[in-house]
Amino acid sequence: MENKNKINIEDKVMSEIKSGRIKLRSKYIFLAEKLGLGSAFALSVLLGVLFFTLVLFYLRASDNLRYLSFGSRGLFAFLQSFPYALVLAFIVMIFVAGVIIKKSGAFYHKPFGRIAVGLIGLILIVGVALTFTNIAEHIERRAFDGSNPDGMLFRPLFGAGFSKHDGGLAGKIVDISGKYIEVQTPFEVVKVDLSKLEEIPKGEIKKGVFIVAIGERKDNIFEPVNIQVMEGDDMPMIQRGVDRRFGGSAQGIPQAGSVGFCLAHCAQTGGDKIFCEKTCINN
Amino acid sequence: MTLSVNLSDEQLVIEIRERDKELYGEIIRRYQTKLTHYLRKFIRNGDELEDVLQEVFIKAYRNLFDFNADKRFSPWIYRIAHNEALNHIKKYKRESFSLDDQEWEIMDESIDLKKDIDNNILKKRIEDGLASIKDKYREPLILFLLEQKSYEEISEILRLPRNTVGTLVMRGKKILREYLVKHSYGK
Repeated sequence: MENKNKINIEDKVMSEIKSGRIKLRSKYIFLAEKLGLGSAFALSVLLGVLFFTLVLFYLRASDNLRYLSFGSRGLFAFLQSFPYALVLAFIVMIFVAGVIIKKSGAFYHKPFGRIAVGLIGLILIVGVALTFTNIAEHIERRAFDGSNPDGMLFRPLFGAGFSKHDGGLAGKIVDISGKYIEVQTPFEVVKVDLSKLEEIPKGEIKKGVFIVAIGERKDNIFEPVNIQVMEGDDMPMIQRGVDRRFGGSAQGIPQAGSVGFCLAHCAQTGGDKIFCEKTCINN
Repeated sequence: MTLSVNLSDEQLVIEIRERDKELYGEIIRRYQTKLTHYLRKFIRNGDELEDVLQEVFIKAYRNLFDFNADKRFSPWIYRIAHNEALNHIKKYKRESFSLDDQEWEIMDESIDLKKDIDNNILKKRIEDGLASIKDKYREPLILFLLEQKSYEEISEILRLPRNTVGTLVMRGKKILREYLVKHSYGK
């Protein structure tokens, strides 16, 4: 019976082969599959490295970590400005690389845990090494300067943290009048009411200096409970953001042709805030 | 034909890929009994087993260029058979286990139960025990004890590190022994 089955299967399979109904898949298909898988793996590792570098860069160059210097009261602002999208993208890339390794079975003779630890270690080391280059700053510039299509891809990743938030404020003082100061942030000019300050600001509040503050927004006015004066170099991303938005200005005076100059001119000629912002930003 | 009998599996594959497709019949002859024996652990029904076996040989033929001739052919085709068997079980949601006449004795010796139990009952208990333990233990255990594969070969078939295979086989034996002890008393 078994012998009969034996012949039966051999006959069936061989007749399919001889008739040409079953063909060998080309070696180039397997080559292409391997190349595709290898490329996808390499790309996911590279992007993982890049996103990790960007996370480190963001933490170092933005206002995010500065909020923690206010202690537990700065936690809310820290969480609001945290680069979730970048961290998520980084985790997704590591996950994708892991799945490719697992699916391809390329390193099956080594325990997967060890491979995963090695891979993550490699990504972290190369990511840290890349922070000593200006690649992250270059990506930030491309993301926010004009309409570079490649840069635009990165803008949403920065966007989750690098955007307006209610619990904190970082920017440059451009005007002081009484209990109010005006602060240019990378997104807008914010009126800040100093009357609710609970602690004496660390450093001198004057035009042209950068500050980080925690507090809350009420009807377009930010009411800080604590302020720290910073150097622009302490938050280069904020400094560049302000310069991009309002034009480079050493003493807080907007330069002709910049959005800041336009806003100031528009306000002087009687335009309301919403109209001015729409006109100046869109143009 | 006589020439093909003297070739190793790997040499035969190279010949099939580059010169003579009809030599594939020799591969089928060499592996049909072994793979039938292996697949029977997963599939009881004779017709279903034959269909799966046929699919294994067709799949192996189609993917011959994926085989690295520097490695051994046997684990490669066993891996295809293994995957096909698992697909079949998933597809029909039918997980069963059956042993040949001598196989349960091999299992009995291996797990060293040393109990005076009726042979038929013990065979059934071993089958049930194997069916009840997790796949990750059962698969290496079957390959090691019943298919007489080395850890190295099992590592290639299941795509697991060699040391992991050793650990799984040991734990599998322990779990099976515990199952048999538990289910042999009081029943």
